[in-house]
Amino acid sequence: MPTTITEPAADVVILGVGYMSGVIAAELTLPGLTYKVVAITKGPYWDYVNDFSTTKYDEWGVGLGRKYDSPLPLQSATIRNTPQQFALPVRRYTMPIQYHALGHGVGGAAQHYGGTMGRQGPWGYTQKSSTVTRYGQPFLDSVNPHSDLEDWPLTYAQYEPYYVEWEKAHGLCGDYNGSATNQPSDTGYPWMSQNYPLPPSPLTPVGQLFQTATQALGYHPFPHVSALASQPYINQYGVPVNPCVFDGYCGGPCDYACETGAKANAAYRTIPAAMKSSNFTLVLNSFIFRLDTDPISGLVTAARYYDPQGNVHIQPGKVFFNGMWGYNMIRIMLLSGVGAPYIWNSVPASVSGAVGRGLTNGYLPYKGTNVSGTLPSNGGNAYPAGNGSGGSVDIYDLMDDNFDHTGLNFIGGTEVGAGGYPGGGPGNITFAGSVSSASMGGTFKATQKDKYLPTKTTLSSTPFAHDLPTTDNYIDLDPHYTDIYGDPLARLTYDWTPNTYNGAIYLVNKVKDIFTRMGAQNVTIGSPVPPGGSTHNDWWGHHLRGGCRIGQDPNTSVWNKWNQCWSPVSKPVFNIFGAGEITNTSGDNVPSGTHVAGPQSYRAAEGIKQYLALATPGILP
Amino acid sequence: MVDQTRREFLKLGLAAAASAVTASAIEIPLFGSQNSSIQTQLNSANTQLANLKNRVNTVVGFVSLSVTEQSLLEKIVETIIPTDADPGAKEAGVIYFIDRQLGGDYGQSANMFMDGPFVPPAQTGPITVGTQTYSAGSPKVRVGAGTNYQYPLNLREFWRVGLIALQAYANSAYGGNFETLSSANQLLLLQDLWGNKPTSFSKILPSDFAYELTFMTWAGFLMDPIYGGNQNMVGWTYTGFNGVNFGNFYGEGKDQKTLMVATTPTRLKPASLAQYQQQASGSS
Repeated sequence: MPTTITEPAADVVILGVGYMSGVIAAELTLPGLTYKVVAITKGPYWDYVNDFSTTKYDEWGVGLGRKYDSPLPLQSATIRNTPQQFALPVRRYTMPIQYHALGHGVGGAAQHYGGTMGRQGPWGYTQKSSTVTRYGQPFLDSVNPHSDLEDWPLTYAQYEPYYVEWEKAHGLCGDYNGSATNQPSDTGYPWMSQNYPLPPSPLTPVGQLFQTATQALGYHPFPHVSALASQPYINQYGVPVNPCVFDGYCGGPCDYACETGAKANAAYRTIPAAMKSSNFTLVLNSFIFRLDTDPISGLVTAARYYDPQGNVHIQPGKVFFNGMWGYNMIRIMLLSGVGAPYIWNSVPASVSGAVGRGLTNGYLPYKGTNVSGTLPSNGGNAYPAGNGSGGSVDIYDLMDDNFDHTGLNFIGGTEVGAGGYPGGGPGNITFAGSVSSASMGGTFKATQKDKYLPTKTTLSSTPFAHDLPTTDNYIDLDPHYTDIYGDPLARLTYDWTPNTYNGAIYLVNKVKDIFTRMGAQNVTIGSPVPPGGSTHNDWWGHHLRGGCRIGQDPNTSVWNKWNQCWSPVSKPVFNIFGAGEITNTSGDNVPSGTHVAGPQSYRAAEGIKQYLALATPGILP
Repeated sequence: MVDQTRREFLKLGLAAAASAVTASAIEIPLFGSQNSSIQTQLNSANTQLANLKNRVNTVVGFVSLSVTEQSLLEKIVETIIPTDADPGAKEAGVIYFIDRQLGGDYGQSANMFMDGPFVPPAQTGPITVGTQTYSAGSPKVRVGAGTNYQYPLNLREFWRVGLIALQAYANSAYGGNFETLSSANQLLLLQDLWGNKPTSFSKILPSDFAYELTFMTWAGFLMDPIYGGNQNMVGWTYTGFNGVNFGNFYGEGKDQKTLMVATTPTRLKPASLAQYQQQASGSS
């Protein structure tokens, strides 16, 4: 019979061991500190050489089998577009393959991402007030009906030093962010007090064409920011990092793990630092299912988890850090009654609560509109997934408020880039949405001959403006489906907002000009597909943002400026801090939400230290 | 036929057994034709054995597909990727890939979330699930999406139901078993499935089955040979994919970091995962 085991109390209990938790673990176990820190993850600690070096070159096993990812029978989520619909559970990992692929084990989903990074510019932190100031409240109301947009509690300038720490810890590669002057007074571009610790990987010929073309058009190109180490590196914690070996099995669609550890994640950057400390305990293969709370104070007293034998462990602690991924972070709060749950209402003024509120998507919809063209003299081998985020060049000029939106019907914009190391290998035909009634017979077969030896490059872009929070997109607990232990799954209610769609229709023409300038032929714009269609349901379930927001108001946000919980049930549950759940980021698919969240984990580490030093625990000033 | 296999021996045997019902004498498969000399038969057998010997590492038997499913699915995959001047699904052994998948985790839906209730997508009117009524039905999703498969069947059973329904449709709409139809009609029939033309397709949507057939056929053509398809890497050779040859597997002296910033593609002889592991471990 499974038993219940009470573990020795810790100062800090970390829930989930991904990117943000890694920072907390490393920062709170630095030499000289005496905090007892326990971190708990539902999966294993992958050893990149031993686990990946002989078995990762496997599109079928990694891509469809998701052999390094979270098993769906353990836990899934349900998805619908409107509160009036029944939500369908995600039943299988299939194409598009990134759909709902949770990571598993130390490092979390960052074991399988493409390594894309990029800071958020100043506008992203003040987009509500900046929009209202420049264009007026009626404009915001018109571009985002049922708007639930809020400003961040801190400005870019306040986060900037934390960005530096984050970039040093993970060995990010890049060369500034497109600012012409790189001064603290920059408003459109993220000023950097230090450059990225590593240089970018070599630019591809297509990346160079993009660079030349965008410069000619008056834009400010810079190398795409990547978390795939371009050189050997040692971070501030003394953790050595191997460089990328360009194996071609990197990011999407199959999402390969990295066999050299060049692809940054907590497992190979921050957790190794914590592991040097005798004050740090890592608990593997253990599924956290509840936070216990004190009925009088409302504070969290312990985390409960199942070990692989089904025993229940109770891990008491003084302070907790919720570092679970996306909806799991929200689900554990809802299951435990921590923070005020979001209650939807068709009248925006009548909604309440914050846990689950403001769900947005950080990734492009599967369709909306797109622009494509062909570079006639740029070919190359098609790899399963070229080095996931290196080699390309980006601009921020069509992002944020870096162009005048007067007379337009959206705010924000998108990062535009081109020239990543070539992907599109065989896994793409089976996984990436190209299987249809046309994929049969000798005529189609003929189109596949030498497909992976292309002599031309197809440029394609889906430049959506960023997704804005509304009161109608949120996460709650599903009333019909449970995980393997019998607890309700997270239910995601979401549809694309008009801002993304209207932005796309404007921005494709700008991208068309860039593609044309690059020398692309047959540059054409696809027919737009408005929100609400079935094809919009493919690309979400990952790259989620919001739902557990940092903000300025405890009635609409879960975390305060220290990433400390201030959402009241009867009283604020102030001894739990959260990973960088993002209020709303700018710039569509990139900059990476991870990069924007990262600085918050350094803030939270400072906050936890301050909290533990308080004579009377409470909300940090 | 270069790639005659044990499976085809089996088919000969079955044909012989079937004919035995009416024949005056039971014929021995392979050596059964009285019009051929024993020597010719032996030569043929020796050739086949030599071919098999060259393919000791390939998968040529069945663990899951039934006898009738084998012959039907063989023709389906050969319709989706026909053999022409270049190898197709037949030479790649796609049917063995699918058979292995159906007999393993894929068929068992081992990594799928399979708890009820099972509610079809794209329900437009109000639906009641348990005690709750949803006025707007269920979301529209695209065929192949992770939320699209909402059947209370594991994938092995889904294929069983689908193949039976396909064969029934072949008879009702085209007047015969799928195997007996012309190539043109075989392709038309599969397109009918994609278009949901069959109106009585048992418990599943024809397009969902068509997706699965097409997806798995291409996967069997293009995934690593270690899974039983893409035999002799014919799928990779045809499509120009280098597998895990990073530029120097056979001593070509290329470097993938350089290849990735080239402006022209480089065709290499592909290498498979098993070859890679053998080379990495120092064995041959």
